[in-house]
Amino acid sequence: MASIIELDRLSKHYSSSIVAVDNVTFAVEDGEFVTLLGPSGCGKSTLLRMIGGFEDPTDGAIWLAGKNVTWDPPHRRDVNMVFQDYALFPHMTVGENIGYGLKLKKLNRTEIGTSVQGALSLVGLEDKIDQHPYQLSGGQRQRIALARAIVRRPKVLLLDEPLSALDAKLRGQMQLELKHLHEKVGISFIMVTHDQTEALVMSDRVVVMDSGRVAQEGSPNLLYDNPNSPYVANFIGTTNFLDAQIARVDGDRTRISVAGVEIEAVGETHRRAGDAITVGFRPEKVRILKDGETGDNEIPGEIAEVVYYGLGLRLSVAVQGGGRVYVDSLLPDRLADSQVPPVGHPVRMALSSGNIFLFDEGVA
Amino acid sequence: MRFLSEKLPGVAVLGIPLLWISVFMLLPYAIIATYSFWTKQYPTFSPDFQFGNYLTLFTDPQYSKVLIRTLKVSLLVSLFSFLLGYPFAYFLAFRCKSQALRTWLYMAVIAPLWVSYLLRAYVWKTILGTEGVLNSFLMSIGILSEPSDMFLYNQFAMVVTLTYIFIPFMVMPIYTALEKIPRNLVEASADLGLRPIPTFLRITLPLSIPGVAAGFTMTFCLTFGDFVAPFLVGGPDGNLVANVIVTQFGTALNWPMGSALSILVLVIVLTVLSLSGRVERHYSPKEV
Amino acid sequence: MKIRMIASYTMALSVAAAPALAEGTLNVLTWEGYADSSFLDQFVEESGCEVNATYVGSNDDFAPKLMGGGGVYDLITPSIDTTALMIDLDLVEPLDPSMIEGWDGIYPKFLALDGIQRDGEYYGMPYSWGAIAFMYLDKAFDEPPTSLDALWSEENSGKISLWDDKSSIYVAARRNGDMNIYNLSDEQIAAARESLIEQKPLVRKYWSTAGELVDLYKAGEVIISNTWAGYQSSLLAAEGIEVTEFIPEEGAEGWMDSWMVVKNTPNRECAYKFLNMQLSEQGQCGVANVNGYSAANAEAARSCMTDEQFEALHQDDPEYLDSLLIWAPLGDRFEAYLNAWNSVKAQ
Repeated sequence: MASIIELDRLSKHYSSSIVAVDNVTFAVEDGEFVTLLGPSGCGKSTLLRMIGGFEDPTDGAIWLAGKNVTWDPPHRRDVNMVFQDYALFPHMTVGENIGYGLKLKKLNRTEIGTSVQGALSLVGLEDKIDQHPYQLSGGQRQRIALARAIVRRPKVLLLDEPLSALDAKLRGQMQLELKHLHEKVGISFIMVTHDQTEALVMSDRVVVMDSGRVAQEGSPNLLYDNPNSPYVANFIGTTNFLDAQIARVDGDRTRISVAGVEIEAVGETHRRAGDAITVGFRPEKVRILKDGETGDNEIPGEIAEVVYYGLGLRLSVAVQGGGRVYVDSLLPDRLADSQVPPVGHPVRMALSSGNIFLFDEGVA
Repeated sequence: MRFLSEKLPGVAVLGIPLLWISVFMLLPYAIIATYSFWTKQYPTFSPDFQFGNYLTLFTDPQYSKVLIRTLKVSLLVSLFSFLLGYPFAYFLAFRCKSQALRTWLYMAVIAPLWVSYLLRAYVWKTILGTEGVLNSFLMSIGILSEPSDMFLYNQFAMVVTLTYIFIPFMVMPIYTALEKIPRNLVEASADLGLRPIPTFLRITLPLSIPGVAAGFTMTFCLTFGDFVAPFLVGGPDGNLVANVIVTQFGTALNWPMGSALSILVLVIVLTVLSLSGRVERHYSPKEV
Repeated sequence: MKIRMIASYTMALSVAAAPALAEGTLNVLTWEGYADSSFLDQFVEESGCEVNATYVGSNDDFAPKLMGGGGVYDLITPSIDTTALMIDLDLVEPLDPSMIEGWDGIYPKFLALDGIQRDGEYYGMPYSWGAIAFMYLDKAFDEPPTSLDALWSEENSGKISLWDDKSSIYVAARRNGDMNIYNLSDEQIAAARESLIEQKPLVRKYWSTAGELVDLYKAGEVIISNTWAGYQSSLLAAEGIEVTEFIPEEGAEGWMDSWMVVKNTPNRECAYKFLNMQLSEQGQCGVANVNGYSAANAEAARSCMTDEQFEALHQDDPEYLDSLLIWAPLGDRFEAYLNAWNSVKAQ
């Protein structure tokens, strides 16, 4: 696969002190679904708008299919955007909206009609062709906006928070629909979102952004299992953090003292004994040991709170040596209510060495 | 008693405006309409029911001439207000990045409304006159060798003056309409491959039509009823329909004729209003 | 402040208690200058009658203002072409000349006019008069114009002004040789209308108010026009603009304004005091000084005017007065004149 879009050290400064996008470099493969993920203000939308041509970068270049398009206006770029609130033309019918961008493509009336029909059937709204946007539901408008962009067969489809205006249930459904659509049309998607679930569900690759920079990029899997910073670890999924110190480094094994006990992590490290670090681990990777049971890397504590969330339980545990961590456990059928540890009950937590992240810096 | 105290506010809420409209609008119109069927009879006029006044309006060319002239001047004023007002409103709504400048410019358009109409019309006399500012300027840059009297006391001067006076009524609704257009519609059009001018013609302009229609209606109707500009800057051929109405009610003591003419004007204005209402409704963006 | 309030309160009480004193404020609807403070202040002081003046811009204002709702005005001053209408509309009441000192000093010619007398009763007290003369800008003419042809001359194109009034029909008729201007036939009116339409391209502006004509001369827009003799020319002279009035070969109209008492005025006592003042030297020279108009009471004029003024205002010049075609009521012919004039403006 070849890169369809390459961003080369792209920056956008609004003033010397306000930097929206700072020296961003990455590429999108042909047919890939890439998500720009980050909190509001991290520069992801600005980055997307620069790709679309709605903002000029202050530095760097954008290459589209091997051509430098950095300074091309939007109408000359072979990319299309699905806007956050869809930006459907209110004075046009669904059919006119979708056909809008085809008139320039030197197609005759019949060809346009066929394309519009094709795009509508792709999103399953063939019967809405003569309606106006105000007659449609939110989800339907979303699909029309997609159809309008896809019908032009762009090299890249840009999606700016495409699902944020929908309610939670519809959003879940649309995530899958979008993913299937992507598979069907086979063009590259670049989506911007602040919703990590959305990013993980839909993308081939996620670019996590922080203050205008790329914090980490990679497959959802990689980001979840190997976050390179507390920022990424915290933004994607939930992570427990505890202050710690390197006790001893022994090949690819590192002994760490944390909360008054010593635990062991695996993996190469550049750190040396005595370095202050932060350890992180996911709540669902922790196991509460039964009485008499033993496990790896035991950390003692006491139940502080129990929250039931349907799928399972989330326990908040006060660590004996200081700090507080979450423990998620699915609720197996056989687990009777009596087995749920009461608040104040002392527990021992076990954690496998492969599931421990080591970070140099603390949590911001 | 309880019934009354509960119903009274409702009665007042509906009743007072109804009373207001009846006394200050419907009643006067009814009186005018009644007069329009009366007969002129020296020294005044007498009650009657005949259509002679209306017949005269359509048969005596002096009335049709003035009506057509008024129609022409009103359309020109609306047109020039549009041609000048639209770019200005567009600049304010879309291009002006500085909030302060925008406020300032908007006020610059609106502020003259607080200045006396007469004063503003008078200013144009001093600009357009034979020894006025425009002539001095054109002579100083060598375009004219001697002052021209072609700028003042004619229909051109009326159109210029009325355009100046009524242009805020064009700018305000257009600006409001443009302001309401989501910016991303313009971006979406560019994204779909249209250049700025086609984008303007297919997105911005159609979506601002309600504002244009409102502006057109206001400038048209205000001009249609104007009688001061003809008096101040109009020439011998400057009489508009409102001047004729004034003459019929004043000099001629022919209230029946004046009333018939007023009713005709009312019908024309109402027609324009309903047409523009239809245009506005057709182009109004439905809730999205 | 408090004392003042009490004072006005007691005054209001005394007014209510003594109806004779209620006859205190005269509302007059008149031309500017006819109730000028230069001679009115003394009257107010001596008579104890307050005067509120409302000004009209044209003779056409009297009827609508009085018809619009009664009881507001006590005295009016329509011109001689409008007085008959006031009588016909039953808006004014007969006068008692025996109660007006100086009545015998009024030009008999005026007292004999139709609009003043009706069925042996006097309805108007002649007050001032003048000509609808013509006027030109001195510096614009090497050869002083003497005929109405100057107002139809290509040479003065774009510099001509004419009063926006039915009077323009009179002017055009005279130019056509029809001297019976207050009694024109339909054909003669049509001919006058044609003349005015022919003249229209040469006209800069039809003037409506005295101030407007003055402005037109001041701004260099107009060099020849008709005028209310004595009035606009003196306003222009005050601005340093030299104009000359003239009576063309085709003659000029004359106008004459009269005071009339509105029917059923509650202030009759003050009204007569006021009429007496206006016909005396005080009022007659007052209006002559303020507006430059000639006085209707020649005897009063003789004793209060300088010799030059007396002569300039043609106060003892029967020939001049006789040469003027004094406005006459048009009665039901008025509509035909006005319609013709309106249709000229509609062109």
